[in-house]
Amino acid sequence: MIEVHRLTKRFGTATVVDGLSFTVRPGRVTGFLGPNGAGKSTTLRMILGLDRPTSGRALIGGRPYRELTAPLRTVGALLDARAVHGGRSAYHHLAGLAAAGGIPRRRVAEVLRLTGLGPQTAARRAKGFSLGMSQRLGLAAALLGDPEVLILDEPVNGLDTDGIRLVRELLRERAARGGTVFLSSHLMSEMELTADHLVVLGNGRLLADAPLAEVIARNSRTVTLVRAPEAERLREVLAAAGGRVSAGDGGWLVEGLDAPTVGELAAAHGLTVHELTPRPSSLEEVYTAMAQPVAGQRAGAAS
Amino acid sequence: MSARVFGWALAHEWLKFRSVRSTVWTWAVMAVLPVPGAAFVAATGSLQPEDTVLGGALTLAVPALALAAVTGVLVISGEYGSGTIATTLTAVPRRGTVLAAKVALVAGVLFLAALASATCAYLVGDAMLAEDRPQGEPWPALLGVAALFPVAGLLGLAVGTLLRHAAGALTTVVALLLLPSMLGPLFGPAERWVAGASPTAALEKLTQSADADAQAVGSLGAWPSLALVAGYTLLALGGAATALRRRDV
Repeated sequence: MIEVHRLTKRFGTATVVDGLSFTVRPGRVTGFLGPNGAGKSTTLRMILGLDRPTSGRALIGGRPYRELTAPLRTVGALLDARAVHGGRSAYHHLAGLAAAGGIPRRRVAEVLRLTGLGPQTAARRAKGFSLGMSQRLGLAAALLGDPEVLILDEPVNGLDTDGIRLVRELLRERAARGGTVFLSSHLMSEMELTADHLVVLGNGRLLADAPLAEVIARNSRTVTLVRAPEAERLREVLAAAGGRVSAGDGGWLVEGLDAPTVGELAAAHGLTVHELTPRPSSLEEVYTAMAQPVAGQRAGAAS
Repeated sequence: MSARVFGWALAHEWLKFRSVRSTVWTWAVMAVLPVPGAAFVAATGSLQPEDTVLGGALTLAVPALALAAVTGVLVISGEYGSGTIATTLTAVPRRGTVLAAKVALVAGVLFLAALASATCAYLVGDAMLAEDRPQGEPWPALLGVAALFPVAGLLGLAVGTLLRHAAGALTTVVALLLLPSMLGPLFGPAERWVAGASPTAALEKLTQSADADAQAVGSLGAWPSLALVAGYTLLALGGAATALRRRDV
Protein backbone atom coordinates (compact mmCIF):
# COMPACT_ATOMS: atom_id res chain seq x y z
CA MET A 1 0.00 0.00 0.00
CA ILE A 2 1.25 3.45 -0.93
CA GLU A 3 -0.21 6.48 0.84
CA VAL A 4 0.40 10.01 -0.32
CA HIS A 5 -0.73 12.79 2.05
CA ARG A 6 -0.95 16.41 0.85
CA LEU A 7 2.34 16.01 -0.97
CA THR A 8 3.79 19.27 -2.32
CA LYS A 9 7.02 19.98 -4.18
CA ARG A 10 8.19 23.42 -5.19
CA PHE A 11 11.31 24.18 -7.21
CA GLY A 12 11.91 27.90 -6.63
CA THR A 13 8.61 29.53 -7.48
CA ALA A 14 7.31 26.66 -9.61
CA THR A 15 4.91 24.29 -7.84
CA VAL A 16 5.34 20.93 -9.54
CA VAL A 17 3.22 18.85 -7.15
CA ASP A 18 0.45 20.66 -5.32
CA GLY A 19 -1.20 19.16 -2.23
CA LEU A 20 -1.55 15.71 -3.73
CA SER A 21 -3.33 12.97 -1.73
CA PHE A 22 -4.21 9.47 -2.89
CA THR A 23 -3.81 5.84 -1.87
CA VAL A 24 -2.57 2.98 -4.03
CA ARG A 25 -4.16 -0.22 -2.71
CA PRO A 26 -2.93 -3.79 -2.97
CA GLY A 27 -4.62 -6.40 -5.16
CA ARG A 28 -5.04 -4.26 -8.23
CA VAL A 29 -3.06 -2.42 -10.88
CA THR A 30 -3.24 1.34 -10.45
CA GLY A 31 -2.39 3.48 -13.44
CA PHE A 32 -0.81 6.90 -13.01
CA LEU A 33 -1.77 9.26 -15.81
CA GLY A 34 -0.97 12.84 -16.65
CA PRO A 35 0.53 14.88 -19.47
CA ASN A 36 4.27 15.64 -19.58
CA GLY A 37 5.16 18.01 -16.77
CA ALA A 38 2.11 17.10 -14.68
CA GLY A 39 4.39 16.01 -11.83
CA LYS A 40 4.17 12.21 -12.16
CA SER A 41 7.90 11.52 -12.05
CA THR A 42 8.48 14.00 -9.22
CA THR A 43 5.71 12.29 -7.24
CA LEU A 44 7.28 8.87 -7.82
CA ARG A 45 10.70 10.21 -6.80
CA MET A 46 9.26 11.59 -3.57
CA ILE A 47 7.58 8.24 -2.83
CA LEU A 48 11.00 6.59 -3.28
CA GLY A 49 12.78 9.06 -1.01
CA LEU A 50 14.92 10.48 -3.82
CA ASP A 51 13.40 13.97 -3.76
CA ARG A 52 12.45 15.63 -0.51
CA PRO A 53 8.87 16.97 -0.40
CA THR A 54 8.43 20.67 0.34
CA SER A 55 5.55 19.54 2.57
CA GLY A 56 3.37 16.50 3.05
CA ARG A 57 4.54 12.91 3.08
CA ALA A 58 4.52 9.64 1.19
CA LEU A 59 4.39 6.30 3.02
CA ILE A 60 4.90 2.72 1.90
CA GLY A 61 3.26 0.19 4.18
CA GLY A 62 2.93 3.00 6.72
CA ARG A 63 6.60 4.06 6.69
CA PRO A 64 8.64 6.62 4.75
CA TYR A 65 10.82 4.92 2.12
CA ARG A 66 14.04 6.02 3.82
CA GLU A 67 13.06 4.09 6.94
CA LEU A 68 12.39 0.75 5.25
CA THR A 69 14.67 -1.95 6.65
CA ALA A 70 14.81 -4.02 3.45
CA PRO A 71 13.82 -1.57 0.70
CA LEU A 72 14.54 -3.80 -2.30
CA ARG A 73 12.49 -6.64 -0.81
CA THR A 74 9.61 -4.27 -0.08
CA VAL A 75 9.51 -2.05 -3.16
CA GLY A 76 10.66 -2.69 -6.72
CA ALA A 77 11.12 0.51 -8.68
CA LEU A 78 11.86 1.34 -12.30
CA LEU A 79 12.28 5.07 -12.88
CA ASP A 80 14.70 5.39 -15.78
CA ALA A 81 15.69 2.29 -17.70
CA ARG A 82 18.71 4.10 -19.16
CA ALA A 83 20.22 4.63 -15.70
CA VAL A 84 22.71 1.78 -15.96
CA HIS A 85 26.49 2.27 -16.07
CA GLY A 86 27.38 1.70 -19.72
CA GLY A 87 30.58 -0.12 -18.83
CA ARG A 88 28.91 -2.67 -16.56
CA SER A 89 27.24 -5.88 -17.71
CA ALA A 90 23.55 -6.43 -17.04
CA TYR A 91 24.48 -9.41 -14.89
CA HIS A 92 26.81 -7.38 -12.68
CA HIS A 93 24.29 -4.55 -12.43
CA LEU A 94 21.77 -7.02 -10.97
CA ALA A 95 24.35 -8.89 -8.87
CA GLY A 96 25.37 -5.59 -7.23
CA LEU A 97 21.76 -4.74 -6.41
CA ALA A 98 21.22 -8.24 -5.02
CA ALA A 99 24.22 -7.69 -2.74
CA ALA A 100 22.86 -4.31 -1.62
CA GLY A 101 19.48 -5.79 -0.77
CA GLY A 102 20.70 -8.93 0.96
CA ILE A 103 19.05 -10.96 -1.81
CA PRO A 104 20.50 -14.38 -2.77
CA ARG A 105 22.52 -14.28 -6.01
CA ARG A 106 20.38 -17.01 -7.65
CA ARG A 107 17.54 -14.46 -7.95
CA VAL A 108 19.61 -12.74 -10.66
CA ALA A 109 19.25 -15.71 -13.01
CA GLU A 110 15.56 -16.01 -12.11
CA VAL A 111 14.67 -12.41 -12.93
CA LEU A 112 16.75 -12.54 -16.12
CA ARG A 113 14.70 -15.53 -17.23
CA LEU A 114 11.45 -13.87 -16.14
CA THR A 115 12.13 -10.77 -18.23
CA GLY A 116 13.40 -12.67 -21.26
CA LEU A 117 17.05 -11.57 -21.13
CA GLY A 118 19.30 -14.44 -22.22
CA PRO A 119 22.60 -15.24 -20.49
CA GLN A 120 24.60 -13.92 -23.46
CA THR A 121 22.76 -10.59 -23.37
CA ALA A 122 23.22 -10.40 -19.61
CA ALA A 123 26.98 -10.83 -19.97
CA ARG A 124 27.21 -7.87 -22.35
CA ARG A 125 27.98 -4.34 -21.23
CA ALA A 126 24.86 -2.19 -21.02
CA LYS A 127 26.31 0.44 -23.37
CA GLY A 128 25.04 -1.42 -26.46
CA PHE A 129 21.54 -2.14 -25.14
CA SER A 130 18.48 -1.02 -27.07
CA LEU A 131 15.77 0.82 -25.13
CA GLY A 132 13.72 -2.36 -25.08
CA MET A 133 16.59 -4.38 -23.59
CA SER A 134 17.20 -1.63 -21.02
CA GLN A 135 13.51 -1.73 -20.06
CA ARG A 136 13.72 -5.48 -19.54
CA LEU A 137 16.82 -5.00 -17.40
CA GLY A 138 15.10 -2.27 -15.38
CA LEU A 139 12.12 -4.54 -14.86
CA ALA A 140 14.43 -7.38 -13.79
CA ALA A 141 16.00 -5.03 -11.23
CA ALA A 142 12.56 -4.07 -9.91
CA LEU A 143 11.55 -7.73 -9.52
CA LEU A 144 14.85 -8.81 -7.94
CA GLY A 145 13.70 -8.70 -4.31
CA ASP A 146 10.30 -10.23 -5.13
CA PRO A 147 8.73 -7.10 -3.58
CA GLU A 148 5.13 -6.60 -2.53
CA VAL A 149 5.03 -3.10 -4.09
CA LEU A 150 6.01 -2.26 -7.68
CA ILE A 151 6.47 1.34 -8.82
CA LEU A 152 7.15 1.64 -12.54
CA ASP A 153 7.56 4.81 -14.61
CA GLU A 154 6.75 4.13 -18.26
CA PRO A 155 7.74 0.43 -18.15
CA VAL A 156 6.54 -0.42 -21.67
CA ASN A 157 8.21 2.53 -23.39
CA GLY A 158 10.39 1.10 -26.16
CA LEU A 159 9.24 -2.52 -25.72
CA ASP A 160 8.13 -4.70 -28.63
CA THR A 161 4.68 -6.35 -28.60
CA ASP A 162 6.05 -9.47 -26.89
CA GLY A 163 7.61 -7.31 -24.21
CA ILE A 164 4.44 -5.27 -23.72
CA ARG A 165 2.39 -8.45 -23.28
CA LEU A 166 4.98 -9.84 -20.88
CA VAL A 167 4.82 -6.71 -18.71
CA ARG A 168 1.02 -6.68 -18.79
CA GLU A 169 0.72 -10.32 -17.74
CA LEU A 170 3.39 -9.96 -15.11
CA LEU A 171 1.76 -6.91 -13.51
CA ARG A 172 -1.75 -8.44 -13.63
CA GLU A 173 -0.44 -11.62 -12.05
CA ARG A 174 1.33 -9.77 -9.23
CA ALA A 175 -1.77 -7.69 -8.50
CA ALA A 176 -3.88 -10.88 -8.50
CA ARG A 177 -1.57 -12.33 -5.85
CA GLY A 178 -2.21 -9.32 -3.64
CA GLY A 179 0.66 -7.08 -4.72
CA THR A 180 0.49 -3.30 -5.02
CA VAL A 181 1.23 -2.19 -8.59
CA PHE A 182 1.57 1.48 -9.51
CA LEU A 183 2.59 2.36 -13.04
CA SER A 184 2.63 5.39 -15.25
CA SER A 185 2.30 5.19 -18.99
CA HIS A 186 1.57 7.39 -21.96
CA LEU A 187 0.13 4.48 -23.91
CA MET A 188 -3.56 4.82 -23.11
CA SER A 189 -4.59 1.70 -25.00
CA GLU A 190 -2.08 -0.28 -22.93
CA MET A 191 -3.22 1.32 -19.68
CA GLU A 192 -6.81 0.42 -20.56
CA LEU A 193 -5.79 -3.25 -20.82
CA THR A 194 -3.63 -3.32 -17.71
CA ALA A 195 -5.03 -1.00 -15.04
CA ASP A 196 -8.02 -1.51 -12.75
CA HIS A 197 -7.83 1.85 -11.09
CA LEU A 198 -6.58 5.25 -12.19
CA VAL A 199 -4.93 8.21 -10.53
CA VAL A 200 -4.99 11.13 -12.96
CA LEU A 201 -2.77 14.16 -12.48
CA GLY A 202 -2.90 17.56 -14.17
CA ASN A 203 -0.64 20.49 -13.28
CA GLY A 204 0.47 18.76 -10.09
CA ARG A 205 -3.11 18.34 -8.83
CA LEU A 206 -5.36 15.31 -8.60
CA LEU A 207 -7.95 15.18 -11.39
CA ALA A 208 -9.34 11.71 -10.70
CA ASP A 209 -8.80 8.76 -8.35
CA ALA A 210 -11.35 6.12 -9.34
CA PRO A 211 -11.80 2.72 -10.99
CA LEU A 212 -10.90 2.71 -14.68
CA ALA A 213 -14.47 1.93 -15.81
CA GLU A 214 -15.84 4.77 -13.72
CA VAL A 215 -13.33 7.28 -15.06
CA ILE A 216 -14.27 6.30 -18.59
CA ALA A 217 -18.03 6.26 -17.93
CA ARG A 218 -18.06 9.59 -16.16
CA ASN A 219 -16.09 11.37 -18.82
CA SER A 220 -17.19 9.63 -22.01
CA ARG A 221 -19.62 10.64 -24.69
CA THR A 222 -21.59 7.69 -25.97
CA VAL A 223 -21.28 7.26 -29.69
CA THR A 224 -23.29 4.75 -31.73
CA LEU A 225 -22.04 3.38 -35.01
CA VAL A 226 -24.79 2.54 -37.47
CA ARG A 227 -24.51 1.23 -41.05
CA ALA A 228 -27.43 0.99 -43.42
CA PRO A 229 -27.84 0.61 -47.20
CA GLU A 230 -30.07 3.69 -47.41
CA ALA A 231 -27.52 5.83 -45.66
CA GLU A 232 -28.77 9.25 -46.66
CA ARG A 233 -32.38 8.62 -45.57
CA LEU A 234 -31.21 7.22 -42.25
CA ARG A 235 -29.06 10.29 -41.65
CA GLU A 236 -32.09 12.56 -42.21
CA VAL A 237 -34.20 10.51 -39.81
CA LEU A 238 -31.55 10.58 -37.10
CA ALA A 239 -30.82 14.26 -37.53
CA ALA A 240 -34.55 15.04 -37.31
CA ALA A 241 -34.69 13.12 -34.01
CA GLY A 242 -31.91 15.31 -32.59
CA GLY A 243 -28.84 13.15 -33.18
CA ARG A 244 -25.50 14.64 -34.21
CA VAL A 245 -24.42 12.53 -37.16
CA SER A 246 -20.99 12.36 -38.73
CA ALA A 247 -19.41 9.96 -41.19
CA GLY A 248 -16.83 7.48 -39.91
CA ASP A 249 -15.80 3.84 -39.85
CA GLY A 250 -17.89 2.99 -42.95
CA GLY A 251 -21.16 4.27 -41.49
CA TRP A 252 -22.61 7.04 -39.37
CA LEU A 253 -21.32 7.92 -35.92
CA VAL A 254 -24.30 9.17 -33.91
CA GLU A 255 -24.03 11.24 -30.76
CA GLY A 256 -26.96 12.16 -28.54
CA LEU A 257 -29.06 9.06 -29.33
CA ASP A 258 -28.34 5.67 -27.77
CA ALA A 259 -28.31 2.41 -29.73
CA PRO A 260 -31.90 1.26 -28.90
CA THR A 261 -33.28 4.65 -29.96
CA VAL A 262 -31.37 4.50 -33.25
CA GLY A 263 -32.68 0.96 -33.89
CA GLU A 264 -36.29 1.93 -33.10
CA LEU A 265 -36.13 5.00 -35.33
CA ALA A 266 -34.81 2.89 -38.22
CA ALA A 267 -37.57 0.28 -37.71
CA ALA A 268 -40.27 2.96 -37.49
CA HIS A 269 -39.17 4.32 -40.88
CA GLY A 270 -38.82 0.87 -42.45
CA LEU A 271 -35.04 1.18 -42.89
CA THR A 272 -32.77 -1.87 -42.97
CA VAL A 273 -29.82 -1.70 -40.57
CA HIS A 274 -26.65 -3.74 -41.24
CA GLU A 275 -24.78 -2.82 -38.10
CA LEU A 276 -25.66 -1.10 -34.86
CA THR A 277 -22.87 -0.79 -32.30
CA PRO A 278 -22.73 1.31 -29.13
CA ARG A 279 -19.19 2.58 -28.70
CA PRO A 280 -18.00 3.82 -25.32
CA SER A 281 -15.13 6.27 -25.56
CA SER A 282 -11.66 4.83 -25.30
CA LEU A 283 -9.52 5.87 -22.38
CA GLU A 284 -7.48 7.88 -24.82
CA GLU A 285 -10.51 9.99 -25.82
CA VAL A 286 -11.56 10.41 -22.21
CA TYR A 287 -8.07 11.37 -21.17
CA THR A 288 -7.69 13.88 -23.97
CA ALA A 289 -11.00 15.45 -22.94
CA MET A 290 -9.91 15.57 -19.28
CA ALA A 291 -6.48 16.99 -20.01
CA GLN A 292 -7.77 19.75 -22.27
CA PRO A 293 -9.11 22.15 -19.61
CA VAL A 294 -5.84 21.71 -17.72
CA ALA A 295 -3.75 22.54 -20.79
CA GLY A 296 -5.94 25.60 -21.38
CA GLN A 297 -5.44 26.70 -17.79
CA ARG A 298 -1.70 26.36 -18.15
CA ALA A 299 -1.65 28.35 -21.37
CA GLY A 300 -3.75 31.00 -19.62
CA ALA A 301 -1.37 31.15 -16.69
CA ALA A 302 1.63 31.54 -18.99
CA SER A 303 0.22 34.47 -20.93
CA MET B 1 23.34 2.18 10.71
CA SER B 2 23.21 -1.53 11.31
CA ALA B 3 26.30 -3.63 10.63
CA ARG B 4 24.30 -5.93 8.36
CA VAL B 5 23.03 -3.11 6.15
CA PHE B 6 26.53 -1.61 6.02
CA GLY B 7 27.91 -5.00 4.95
CA TRP B 8 25.37 -5.22 2.13
CA ALA B 9 26.17 -1.67 1.02
CA LEU B 10 29.91 -2.43 1.03
CA ALA B 11 29.36 -5.63 -1.01
CA HIS B 12 27.37 -3.52 -3.50
CA GLU B 13 30.17 -0.95 -3.76
CA TRP B 14 32.81 -3.67 -4.26
CA LEU B 15 30.78 -5.31 -7.04
CA LYS B 16 30.31 -1.96 -8.75
CA PHE B 17 34.02 -1.17 -8.40
CA ARG B 18 35.27 -4.44 -9.85
CA SER B 19 32.71 -4.72 -12.67
CA VAL B 20 33.75 -1.56 -14.56
CA ARG B 21 37.00 -1.33 -16.50
CA SER B 22 37.74 2.34 -15.81
CA THR B 23 37.95 1.94 -12.02
CA VAL B 24 39.81 -1.38 -12.12
CA TRP B 25 42.40 -0.14 -14.62
CA THR B 26 43.01 3.17 -12.90
CA TRP B 27 43.54 1.30 -9.65
CA ALA B 28 45.75 -1.37 -11.24
CA VAL B 29 48.01 1.15 -13.00
CA MET B 30 48.28 3.12 -9.76
CA ALA B 31 49.37 -0.04 -7.95
CA VAL B 32 51.91 -1.17 -10.55
CA LEU B 33 53.44 2.15 -11.65
CA PRO B 34 55.93 2.75 -8.78
CA VAL B 35 57.67 -0.64 -9.23
CA PRO B 36 58.91 -0.33 -12.84
CA GLY B 37 59.49 3.33 -11.94
CA ALA B 38 62.03 2.28 -9.29
CA ALA B 39 63.75 -0.09 -11.72
CA PHE B 40 63.90 2.61 -14.41
CA VAL B 41 65.35 5.26 -12.11
CA ALA B 42 67.96 2.83 -10.76
CA ALA B 43 68.91 1.47 -14.21
CA THR B 44 69.39 4.93 -15.74
CA GLY B 45 71.09 6.39 -12.66
CA SER B 46 68.90 9.49 -13.04
CA LEU B 47 69.13 10.64 -9.41
CA GLN B 48 70.63 13.57 -7.54
CA PRO B 49 73.74 12.55 -5.56
CA GLU B 50 72.01 13.42 -2.28
CA ASP B 51 68.82 11.44 -3.11
CA THR B 52 68.04 8.56 -0.77
CA VAL B 53 67.29 5.02 -1.90
CA LEU B 54 63.77 5.39 -0.58
CA GLY B 55 63.17 8.70 -2.38
CA GLY B 56 64.63 7.40 -5.65
CA ALA B 57 62.68 4.17 -5.55
CA LEU B 58 59.39 6.03 -5.03
CA THR B 59 59.90 8.59 -7.81
CA LEU B 60 56.77 7.50 -9.65
CA ALA B 61 54.67 7.49 -6.47
CA VAL B 62 53.65 11.07 -7.32
CA PRO B 63 51.73 10.22 -10.53
CA ALA B 64 50.44 7.09 -8.75
CA LEU B 65 49.04 9.36 -6.04
CA ALA B 66 47.19 11.35 -8.71
CA LEU B 67 45.70 8.07 -9.98
CA ALA B 68 44.55 7.27 -6.44
CA ALA B 69 42.67 10.58 -6.37
CA VAL B 70 41.18 9.77 -9.81
CA THR B 71 40.02 6.37 -8.50
CA GLY B 72 38.19 8.12 -5.67
CA VAL B 73 36.50 10.51 -8.10
CA LEU B 74 35.42 7.68 -10.44
CA VAL B 75 33.72 5.76 -7.61
CA ILE B 76 31.13 8.54 -7.28
CA SER B 77 31.17 10.41 -10.60
CA GLY B 78 30.37 7.17 -12.45
CA GLU B 79 27.10 7.05 -10.51
CA TYR B 80 26.12 10.62 -11.32
CA GLY B 81 27.23 10.32 -14.94
CA SER B 82 25.21 7.20 -15.63
CA GLY B 83 22.26 7.98 -13.36
CA THR B 84 22.79 4.86 -11.24
CA ILE B 85 22.95 7.11 -8.16
CA ALA B 86 19.12 6.93 -8.04
CA THR B 87 19.27 3.11 -8.18
CA THR B 88 21.95 3.02 -5.49
CA LEU B 89 19.94 5.30 -3.21
CA THR B 90 16.75 3.28 -3.66
CA ALA B 91 18.72 0.13 -2.79
CA VAL B 92 20.34 1.81 0.23
CA PRO B 93 18.11 4.78 1.17
CA ARG B 94 20.25 5.90 4.11
CA ARG B 95 22.68 8.16 2.34
CA GLY B 96 25.23 8.27 5.13
CA THR B 97 25.51 4.48 4.79
CA VAL B 98 26.14 4.76 1.04
CA LEU B 99 28.92 7.30 1.55
CA ALA B 100 30.41 5.30 4.45
CA ALA B 101 30.51 2.18 2.26
CA LYS B 102 32.26 4.12 -0.51
CA VAL B 103 34.76 5.50 2.02
CA ALA B 104 35.52 2.00 3.32
CA LEU B 105 35.93 0.64 -0.21
CA VAL B 106 38.18 3.45 -1.47
CA ALA B 107 40.29 3.46 1.70
CA GLY B 108 40.63 -0.33 1.73
CA VAL B 109 41.59 -0.93 -1.90
CA LEU B 110 43.95 2.05 -2.02
CA PHE B 111 45.71 1.30 1.27
CA LEU B 112 46.38 -2.34 0.40
CA ALA B 113 47.53 -1.57 -3.14
CA ALA B 114 49.75 1.31 -2.04
CA LEU B 115 51.36 -0.62 0.81
CA ALA B 116 52.24 -3.53 -1.49
CA SER B 117 53.32 -1.23 -4.30
CA ALA B 118 55.50 1.14 -2.23
CA THR B 119 57.17 -1.77 -0.43
CA CYS B 120 57.96 -3.57 -3.70
CA ALA B 121 59.27 -0.36 -5.27
CA TYR B 122 61.54 0.21 -2.27
CA LEU B 123 62.87 -3.36 -2.39
CA VAL B 124 63.55 -3.07 -6.13
CA GLY B 125 65.32 0.25 -5.64
CA ASP B 126 67.27 -1.12 -2.69
CA ALA B 127 68.48 -4.08 -4.74
CA MET B 128 69.47 -2.03 -7.79
CA LEU B 129 70.86 1.25 -6.42
CA ALA B 130 74.53 1.72 -5.47
CA GLU B 131 75.66 0.85 -1.95
CA ASP B 132 77.19 4.26 -1.19
CA ARG B 133 73.85 6.08 -1.47
CA PRO B 134 72.08 7.19 1.75
CA GLN B 135 69.37 4.68 2.55
CA GLY B 136 66.64 6.87 4.00
CA GLU B 137 64.34 5.68 6.76
CA PRO B 138 61.93 3.17 5.20
CA TRP B 139 59.96 2.49 8.40
CA PRO B 140 57.53 3.85 9.33
CA ALA B 141 57.70 6.12 6.26
CA LEU B 142 56.33 3.39 3.96
CA LEU B 143 53.27 3.07 6.19
CA GLY B 144 52.79 6.82 5.94
CA VAL B 145 53.03 6.58 2.13
CA ALA B 146 50.47 3.76 2.11
CA ALA B 147 48.17 5.88 4.31
CA LEU B 148 48.50 8.88 2.03
CA PHE B 149 46.96 7.07 -0.98
CA PRO B 150 43.59 6.49 0.69
CA VAL B 151 43.66 10.13 1.84
CA ALA B 152 44.11 11.28 -1.78
CA GLY B 153 41.39 8.84 -2.92
CA LEU B 154 38.96 10.07 -0.26
CA LEU B 155 39.68 13.66 -1.23
CA GLY B 156 38.67 12.65 -4.77
CA LEU B 157 35.54 10.93 -3.43
CA ALA B 158 34.56 14.00 -1.40
CA VAL B 159 35.15 16.44 -4.27
CA GLY B 160 33.35 14.09 -6.71
CA THR B 161 30.35 13.90 -4.36
CA LEU B 162 30.24 17.66 -3.92
CA LEU B 163 30.63 18.51 -7.63
CA ARG B 164 28.86 15.46 -9.16
CA HIS B 165 30.60 15.93 -12.52
CA ALA B 166 33.66 13.86 -13.41
CA ALA B 167 35.49 16.56 -15.39
CA GLY B 168 35.07 19.25 -12.75
CA ALA B 169 36.00 16.91 -9.92
CA LEU B 170 39.12 15.58 -11.71
CA THR B 171 40.33 19.09 -12.48
CA THR B 172 39.79 20.15 -8.88
CA VAL B 173 41.66 17.26 -7.26
CA VAL B 174 44.57 17.46 -9.69
CA ALA B 175 44.76 21.19 -8.87
CA LEU B 176 44.75 20.36 -5.15
CA LEU B 177 47.63 17.94 -5.75
CA LEU B 178 49.77 20.33 -7.80
CA LEU B 179 48.91 23.93 -7.02
CA PRO B 180 49.97 24.37 -3.36
CA SER B 181 53.66 23.77 -4.06
CA MET B 182 53.50 25.94 -7.20
CA LEU B 183 51.74 28.84 -5.48
CA GLY B 184 53.37 28.50 -2.06
CA PRO B 185 56.16 31.06 -2.63
CA LEU B 186 53.53 33.75 -3.29
CA PHE B 187 52.31 33.54 0.30
CA GLY B 188 55.46 34.75 2.04
CA PRO B 189 55.59 33.63 5.68
CA ALA B 190 52.53 31.41 5.20
CA GLU B 191 54.40 29.41 2.59
CA ARG B 192 55.25 26.53 4.90
CA TRP B 193 51.53 25.96 5.45
CA VAL B 194 50.39 26.54 1.88
CA ALA B 195 53.12 24.54 0.17
CA GLY B 196 52.83 21.76 2.71
CA ALA B 197 49.09 21.52 2.26
CA SER B 198 49.04 19.25 -0.80
CA PRO B 199 49.11 15.45 -0.67
CA THR B 200 52.06 15.55 -3.07
CA ALA B 201 54.09 17.62 -0.60
CA ALA B 202 53.35 15.14 2.17
CA LEU B 203 54.39 12.31 -0.15
CA GLU B 204 57.74 13.90 -1.04
CA LYS B 205 58.51 14.51 2.63
CA LEU B 206 57.60 10.95 3.57
CA THR B 207 59.82 9.52 0.84
CA GLN B 208 62.66 11.84 1.92
CA SER B 209 63.21 12.75 -1.72
CA ALA B 210 65.84 15.38 -2.57
CA ASP B 211 62.96 17.51 -3.93
CA ALA B 212 61.47 17.76 -0.46
CA ASP B 213 63.11 21.03 0.53
CA ALA B 214 61.24 23.72 2.39
CA GLN B 215 61.28 25.92 -0.73
CA ALA B 216 59.16 23.50 -2.76
CA VAL B 217 56.97 21.70 -0.26
CA GLY B 218 56.92 23.84 2.87
CA SER B 219 58.80 23.35 6.10
CA LEU B 220 56.27 21.20 7.95
CA GLY B 221 57.55 17.78 8.93
CA ALA B 222 56.40 14.69 7.03
CA TRP B 223 53.86 13.52 9.63
CA PRO B 224 52.34 16.94 10.42
CA SER B 225 52.00 17.40 6.67
CA LEU B 226 50.16 14.06 6.39
CA ALA B 227 47.94 15.03 9.33
CA LEU B 228 47.13 18.39 7.71
CA VAL B 229 46.10 16.71 4.44
CA ALA B 230 44.11 14.03 6.29
CA GLY B 231 42.41 16.75 8.35
CA TYR B 232 41.05 18.75 5.46
CA THR B 233 40.10 15.56 3.62
CA LEU B 234 37.98 14.66 6.64
CA LEU B 235 36.35 18.10 6.52
CA ALA B 236 35.65 17.68 2.80
CA LEU B 237 34.06 14.27 3.48
CA GLY B 238 31.87 15.83 6.15
CA GLY B 239 30.74 18.43 3.62
CA ALA B 240 30.09 15.69 1.06
CA ALA B 241 27.96 13.73 3.57
CA THR B 242 25.89 16.81 4.38
CA ALA B 243 25.39 17.62 0.70
CA LEU B 244 24.42 14.04 -0.14
CA ARG B 245 21.85 13.95 2.70
CA ARG B 246 20.26 17.27 1.85
CA ARG B 247 20.16 17.16 -1.92
CA ASP B 248 17.46 15.79 -4.16
CA VAL B 249 19.03 13.11 -6.31
